[in-house]
Amino acid sequence: MGFSLSLEKANAILNELKKEYRIYAPKRFEKQGRYSDTDIIRYDEIDSIEEIVTGEKSTYSPKEVLFPITQTILYFTEDEYRETKMDDKKILIFMRPCDINARKVQERIYMGNGGFDDFYYKRLREKVKFVMMECTKGWDTCFCVSMGTNKATNYAAAVRFLEDGILLDVKDEELQGYFADVAKAPFEVEFIEGNETVVELPQIPDKKVLNAIKAHPMWDEYNSRCIACGACTIACGTCTCFTTTDLFYTQNANVGERRRTYSSCQIDGFDEMAGGLIFRKSYADTMRYKVLHKVHDYKERFGENMCVGCGRCTDRCPQFISFSHTIEKLNHAIKEICEQPVSQS
Amino acid sequence: MNHDIDIKNTRINCFRQSKIKGEFLLQMRVPGGTLDAKYLEFVQHICKTWGNGLFHFGMRQCFNVPGIKYESIPAVNAYIKEYLEGVEVGMCNVKMDDTEHGFPTIGGRNIMSCIGNEHCIKANVNTFALARKIEPLIFPGHYHVKIAVAGCPNDCGKAHFNDFGMIGIAKMEYHQERCIGCGACVDACSHHATGVLKLNEFNKIDKDDCCCVGCGECTLICPASAWTRLPTKFFRVLLGARTGKQEARMAKTFLTWVTEDVILQLFANWPKFSAWVLDYKPEYLHGGHLIDRAGYQKFKEIMLDGVKLNPEAKVADNIYWAETEYRRDIHVKPLAEHKKAGPGATSGH
Ligand code: SF4
Ligand code: SF4
Ligand code: SF4
Ligand code: SF4
Ligand code: SF4
Repeated sequence: MGFSLSLEKANAILNELKKEYRIYAPKRFEKQGRYSDTDIIRYDEIDSIEEIVTGEKSTYSPKEVLFPITQTILYFTEDEYRETKMDDKKILIFMRPCDINARKVQERIYMGNGGFDDFYYKRLREKVKFVMMECTKGWDTCFCVSMGTNKATNYAAAVRFLEDGILLDVKDEELQGYFADVAKAPFEVEFIEGNETVVELPQIPDKKVLNAIKAHPMWDEYNSRCIACGACTIACGTCTCFTTTDLFYTQNANVGERRRTYSSCQIDGFDEMAGGLIFRKSYADTMRYKVLHKVHDYKERFGENMCVGCGRCTDRCPQFISFSHTIEKLNHAIKEICEQPVSQS
Repeated sequence: MNHDIDIKNTRINCFRQSKIKGEFLLQMRVPGGTLDAKYLEFVQHICKTWGNGLFHFGMRQCFNVPGIKYESIPAVNAYIKEYLEGVEVGMCNVKMDDTEHGFPTIGGRNIMSCIGNEHCIKANVNTFALARKIEPLIFPGHYHVKIAVAGCPNDCGKAHFNDFGMIGIAKMEYHQERCIGCGACVDACSHHATGVLKLNEFNKIDKDDCCCVGCGECTLICPASAWTRLPTKFFRVLLGARTGKQEARMAKTFLTWVTEDVILQLFANWPKFSAWVLDYKPEYLHGGHLIDRAGYQKFKEIMLDGVKLNPEAKVADNIYWAETEYRRDIHVKPLAEHKKAGPGATSGH
């Protein structure tokens, strides 16, 4: 159902909605950027439509709402534990198509992976509805069209932002109720049909080629280029790794809370197992692991690529490592390997 | 040519005497060391028309034009009217009654600065914006003072080698909930700065606030924006450095965590302080010497007079400079030779 709303009317409805929902959208945090006098845009609760940053990609992904960077999941005493409580409010999140598609990617891990649901993700997810922000232009580092994630259909509402108002397509019945006194206006959301960055998806034909890729010198440059900061994975909407920490309230009683916090394969020490065994060591290795996971390994298991082409990893990398260029290099290496005479392999 | 030139007057006019008889080097101020690139052509024209075709980057970021004949000075001064009006009056809001006769004084030296946060990834402040605000407070003034602004504690702007050196610093805010406990900031702080961060048993950061230098290395490295700069810009102010043949020394901290507002109030007091020390008779004597004559306590009293310090501000109780004395006991002399400050002070020259 399509509607056209002035900003004033839209804000009035937003205020109505806020009684039932927490509403999250990309918001500007002035001067909080990595460099002096630069901003970051990240997800936070909003009070008005004007607060939503529409003309720039958010620095961090909306996954932070559903999967907070630090989350206390339970409290424990000597012999029992209790999950943290949540209030009854439902949640609306303004998201771009790529980010909505990234939910599917994460949810294959958090919900149903090996018949197991992550309780803490699921209980939040069940409260959430997506408001899709129309995205027709994208930015220089986006390659959602190549990844097939430029379109999304599983939204409760879709929105186009105009100078002085918004256009809405409201699919969700419960939400439709809030627009009873708004005149209907036809609105069909549009999607981006081509990005500046086009990526050819790597096709690794067999195990032999995969092994050759792993040994290929293409990864070596990352030993000197990557600084293992992990910024790429924190901003990525599809990375799912976390670590769990128990926080004891006093030194001599087993009373405390359990927290989980983002973690990353790109960061030093992430692979250290008890006993100091490290599987992947060099930054070439960690880069190879990340890239293959994003555009090959995950797909082998779930049939779809992990990466949704949002380009945030490239945007955030302080060393100017471009993820799409890395994929290109990978394609080049695959071609080189496949064209080698059989006797050599 | 048989010249009869008042060298002192040409010097005040920013034409410095050359070893070649009758020739001068024009020093053009570039407040903050950053200008619209259109002035490059302007300066090139002076070099080619009146100079000897060479150009020199002044050690204090001036445009230096060597080889100008004494006879050409009026023509050059007429030509640089446009520069004075564009750069000093227009860009820096300097009050100049006369722009027809070149630079009116050499007193307050060109305010230098590194490129700052206009470009630099390490910077915390816009350096030349501050320089341009200080400019009208010290220029045109006949009291000598050397000022520099650096964008961060790396001090590429050489704040440590000026009478006054400002270093841009930032207060960091820790967003505990965004911290992933990677420890990168801990390493960055100890490698590049002061080592005031540590990872605690909950995988979060403890900070010893006493000694943070406000450099921002933690913010630069943090992958999650768990460290961010607070929007207010702060400065450390270094004092009293000098080079030279007799008693070179590096600056020491005078103020820290002061805002721009405090700095501007401070420089508004500089002419008052200099005038008091020299009993209202400007002479070719650098700022550091004026501070020496007055003594730090007197300097502090006059310079901070009426200055409203921001709540975070800290002021040096005392300053103990370490000099390199190029002659033993350089400061030990008969009482009669001691330089005096204030009313009735006689010239040290
Ligand atoms: S990848 Fe870029 S263009 Fe595509 S939906 Fe996301 S933000 Fe829009
Ligand atoms: S790997 Fe990069 S482009 Fe792909 S989803 Fe993650 S952040 Fe976006
Ligand atoms: S952001 Fe860049 S430098 Fe940092 S871990 Fe990722 S690829 Fe390496
Ligand atoms: S700003 Fe302070 S805490 Fe951060 S790196 Fe510099 S000295 Fe360390
Ligand atoms: S760098 Fe950032 S995320 Fe890592 S420990 Fe420091 S504050 Fe936490």
